[in-house]
Amino acid sequence: MHKIWLLFDPRRVMVAMAVFLFTLAVLIHFILLSTDRYNWLDVKPLVAAEASVEMTRLIT
Amino acid sequence: MASPESESLTGMTSGEAREFHRIFMKSAILFTGWAFAAHVLVHLWRPWLFNDGSMTTSSLLDGVKTIATTVTAMV
Repeated sequence: MHKIWLLFDPRRVMVAMAVFLFTLAVLIHFILLSTDRYNWLDVKPLVAAEASVEMTRLIT
Repeated sequence: MASPESESLTGMTSGEAREFHRIFMKSAILFTGWAFAAHVLVHLWRPWLFNDGSMTTSSLLDGVKTIATTVTAMV
């Protein structure tokens, strides 16, 4: 298995993985922050969170 | 002239590749374990699997539905 590094340049692989994983992580974190249920900075009780979703649905 | 051992595409010897692979795999396993632990904690906080509906509907799913609707409308 280690022979993969004779084929692919370790430095490029590490840079590519770092960029990809960081971008994916930032994307997922922002998606979660945009939801009521999984926003950990502005935590709402589940009932209140769902109620606000329901209110938004009623308003729009 | 390059020695026969360093005639790989990356110029690494088999020994160097083996050493790098050991560190790489250790880091990958540590990273995966760290991420797994974080996922367990978040799932304990607000589960997204095996949600029988008695909890609440997931607003995350609502978000995905909204995105899906938008994308479908664009196509």
